[in-house]
This record gives sequence, structure tokens and C-alpha cells, in this order.
Amino acid sequence: MTRFLRNAAVIAMGAALLLPLAACVSVTSAPAGAFKVGTGAYHVTLGQEWSDISQIMLARPKNVRLLSLDGPSLNRLYLTDGLAPGDFLVKPAAKDKPTPTYQKGMSATELVEFVADSVSALDYQKVETSGLRPTRLAGAEGLRFDLKGKTREGLEISGAAALAERGGKLYVILYLAPQEHYFQATLPEVESVMGSASAG
Amino acid sequence: MIGRSLALAAALSCGLATGAPAGAAPASDAVLRAPHLRPDPTTPEAGIWGLSDKAEAHVKGSGDLDADPALNAYVRGVICKVATEYCDELRVYVLDRPIFNASTAPNGYVEVYSGLLLRAATEDELAFVLGHEVSHFARNHTLARWQAAKNTANVTMILQLGVAAIAAGAVYSSSAAGAGGSSANSISQAARSVSDLIYLAGVASLFGYSRDEESEADRLGFARVAAAGYQGSQSAGMWQDLIDETQASDFPTVRKSEARASMFNTHPLTAERIAALKALAGGSGAATDPAARGAYRARIRAHLGPWLKDDLRRRDYGQTLQVIARLESQGEDLGVLEFYRGEALRQRRHDGDAALSLGAYKSAVIHPDAPAASWRELGDAARKTGDAAAARQAFQDYLTHAPDAQDRWLVEASLKSLSTAGTP
Repeated sequence: MTRFLRNAAVIAMGAALLLPLAACVSVTSAPAGAFKVGTGAYHVTLGQEWSDISQIMLARPKNVRLLSLDGPSLNRLYLTDGLAPGDFLVKPAAKDKPTPTYQKGMSATELVEFVADSVSALDYQKVETSGLRPTRLAGAEGLRFDLKGKTREGLEISGAAALAERGGKLYVILYLAPQEHYFQATLPEVESVMGSASAG
Repeated sequence: MIGRSLALAAALSCGLATGAPAGAAPASDAVLRAPHLRPDPTTPEAGIWGLSDKAEAHVKGSGDLDADPALNAYVRGVICKVATEYCDELRVYVLDRPIFNASTAPNGYVEVYSGLLLRAATEDELAFVLGHEVSHFARNHTLARWQAAKNTANVTMILQLGVAAIAAGAVYSSSAAGAGGSSANSISQAARSVSDLIYLAGVASLFGYSRDEESEADRLGFARVAAAGYQGSQSAGMWQDLIDETQASDFPTVRKSEARASMFNTHPLTAERIAALKALAGGSGAATDPAARGAYRARIRAHLGPWLKDDLRRRDYGQTLQVIARLESQGEDLGVLEFYRGEALRQRRHDGDAALSLGAYKSAVIHPDAPAASWRELGDAARKTGDAAAARQAFQDYLTHAPDAQDRWLVEASLKSLSTAGTP
């Protein structure tokens, strides 16, 4: 069997396995109002109806939820249910392609780097941060900053991130959308969601 | 995951033999393609030209296209020196991708990755790699596989149908949940992208070069650099450096491979090839000329930091540290290089890395080219060891070097905290 045929067989098997899964997972509604991020008390308040796209995003760790208004290519809101040391925001595709992990004792610079490098791990290019400023998230002192990057196809992406450590865990709210129209159009709602985060 | 343009570029480094010898080609009995070759659209070869055109259109808008016109012009100048007969038809695109790679598509579009530019020590080494790629372009190394690809097109079609079915399922699920058509459209787009990737990866996998083709490209590339006045004698050393870098990887799967995530996924690199290049050089290969190294470093100096930052994001710190060590052996840019050594060690977090990282930052700040962030990282590293005095000094130095830093308020808060507590 040639290398191509071997590769083709592997991909075909993967496709065969994914086909039934596609019928099982779904996008669900996340109505305006309180949205519980995980199983605990941590929640945010949505100002409008979002779509919960968590189940269709394969690179999502189980303690990260993803919401969208216009589809995952047009806007994504990442909400973490408290990352423990060793957890990642973006699941690695392979052992030799690791993604950043949250670690105990990270400096503020390292926390920002953790988010920026996680966005890079989503295959965004030339990811940079700016506008670092203090904020409060879920009752804890945290950091707020902006991101910029590009898709592989060259589409300019903007981002907004807020994070805070609480009880040894890292809470992150990360919003990504195309710079043209979508980011600014949704930013007020995202800012409101960030401000609404509550641990209890 | 194989990137779209990478897949195509890797796939398309081929030429079309016409039986016409090229006028300025190096002395060889190989038959080379004629300049400005464009097959008739009705021929089977036209298909691979079409793919090349599609890949070039994609890369023109790529998010990692390097926007430095001077760098692009420089690389284009080098390739023109080793491919004089094709110079006016070659279009060079430098891409900021931390992978050792270059490729030349049959329509004359050339991708050169920053990972190659970072790893070359001299223009001679860069010229050899480009000469090697031009030799694939000038010879007919992938046409036979293109024909094979057409024969296996049915396999690719089956895979695409499978992905289309998945997309249909996802769209159905989305609609059923009442999430709105826009989400469904995005999912369809995502599925189409997956479909493209499967197709392109399938195409790419068909274009792995044989050992004979690689050896021929080495031989012809060597002849090209020699004809252009370059020192081809350093080419074997560059290949050996890449093997050494592979062996320095943090990951066993990488170390077991001959070379990873590079042109050598499709270009087998063997001890025999290195030995052959040494033989062509008339011995074991010459040491690189310090003046040549310095001249080449001057060309890429402005990009060292961004490229090393890109390399760090691969998170294979063993390989990045190997690259930094090789760059440092030249004795230049030590502020930048020691800073990134510190960054690699800090991020790796192995036992003992914290102390090594602290040492690297200390070493960085004694050089005039140290990035301002070196002092901030030195401060954080010192604070973690409990050395409050050193941390305070480093933070103060950071604010002196970067008075308008976006994190000034944060560093000032750290200074205040250190002054108040007296301890970390």
C-alpha cells in the first residue's frame, strides 16, 4: 500500500467515525439571562440570545464553553470554568504539538502570554496583545487586554480578553471576531458579559 | 494539520521537462525546462499549473506573509543569482512560518519560510537551499506523481463526500436546535475547509521526492551555487545542523523522525546525501567565513526577535534552544538571543530551568541590543527566587528602558509591593 493510500485509509476511517458523531452533537440556544459556565456557581449574564457552539468545537477542553452570535468563523466567546494548573484553553491536536497550559505562580505577563499563545495555537497568525489594564472578574482582581491577529487566509481578527485567578484557578473570558464590523458590533455585549461574571 | 498553502507548495515544487536545454543552466547532462514554460490548457500537465495558480492566489493574501519589501527583494535577488535563466518568471513570497521550508511551484511562484532564513548562517547556505528547490523546478521531479495523483483522484473524491456528509449532519443539527442559519453557514464553511485540507493533504502526500530526485537536486543545486560564485562547501553542514536540531527535540516522535515539519517531510535527508555533498565540496566541507556570516546576519537582524517568538510558539523548546545556540556561536546579537534563551527556559519549566532562565536574562541585559522586556523578565525571575533587591532594580531598569510600556502600571504596582513587603 502506498503512503497516500495508507493516509487515505486513515482519513476515511476518521470520516466514518465522525459521521455518526456529527448527527449526535448540536448547537443549542443560550438565551439572554444567566448562563452557567460549568457545574458550579460561576456564571455570566447574557444580554441577548447566543448560540452555544461548544459541542461542535473539537479543540475545546471540557471546562471551556464557546458561544457565538453569527457562527464560529464570525465571533467566538470562550468562557472557562476555572482552569486548574496543567489545564489548557485550547486542546492540543497531538502530543508533539502542545498548546499552552495554565501553571501555578504565573506572573501577569505569563498569564497574558498564556492567552495570546493559546490564540496562536488556534492557527491565528501574528497574534499580539495591547491595552493591558486592570479589571475585576468574578469578584477578583484581574487583567483586561486586547488582541490582534490574522487568519491563515489574511482576515484581520480582533480580540478582547479578561482573566483573573481565584481559588487557585484561572477564569478567562476571551472574545474573537473579524476586525471588520463583527468585533465592534458585538463588543458592547461582550464587555457587559465580562462585567457580569460572578462566582456565586 | 497541514496548512493549505503548505500542502500546495509542498506538492508543486516541480517542473515540466520539455526537452529544451536551459541557456544559463549549470553544466549538467540533465534536461531542464525551458524558461516561461506554460503547458497547453488541454494537456494533463495544465492541471498542476492550475493548482499552482490557485496556491499563489491564496498565498498573496496569507496572514503570515512577511511585509518587509527589503527582505523579499533580498531573497528574490539570491534566487535570481542561482536561477538566472528563470529569474524574470520567479515570484518570491517570504512567509513568517517557523519551519525550515522553501518550494518552487511550476508556475514560478516561490515560497520561502522564515524558519529557513533563521537557520541559514550565510547567504551561501540560503543560496544552496534555493538552488536545490530551483533544481526540482527545473527538472521533472513530480510530474510522474501528478499522473499518479490523477489515478487516485477517486480516493480523494470519496473522502470529500464523507466530509460533505458530516457537514450536512452538522447543518441539520444546528437548524434543528433553532440556532439560526448563520451558524449553519459557518459550519458549512468550516466543513468545506476541512474538505479542502483533506484534498490538499492528499495531493501533497503524492509529491514526496525520491532519494534519487533529492540527490539530483542536491547535485544540481550545488552546481548552481558554484556557478553563481557561492561557497557550496557549507551545504552539508547545514543539513547536519538540521539533523542535530531534530535530535534536540523535546518529543520522542520528532527525534525518531529524520526531520519534522520541514521540507524533509517530502525530501528524505540521509547520511548518504550529506556524504555526497561533502564529496562534491572536495572533502569534509569548509568552515563558514565569519565575514559571510556577519553579512547575512545583517540582512535578517531586524527579524531575529519576531522569528524566535514564532519559533517559541511551536513549544518544542529543545529545538528552539538548539537554534539559539547555533545563532549565538557567531558572537553577535547576544542581547536578543540570550533574552529568547531565557524565554524558552522560562516557558519549558523543567527542573532547574528557572535558574537557567534567570541566568539568561542576566546575560541578556549586559548587551546593548537586549529587548526592554529582558529587564521585566529578569525582575519577575528574581522575585520568584526571593531576591527582592534584584527584582526592584530590574523593574526600575525596565521602566527606564520602556517608559511608555503598556504594563507600566503593573510594574509600578510590583515595585510598590516589593517596597512595602521587602520580600517577594
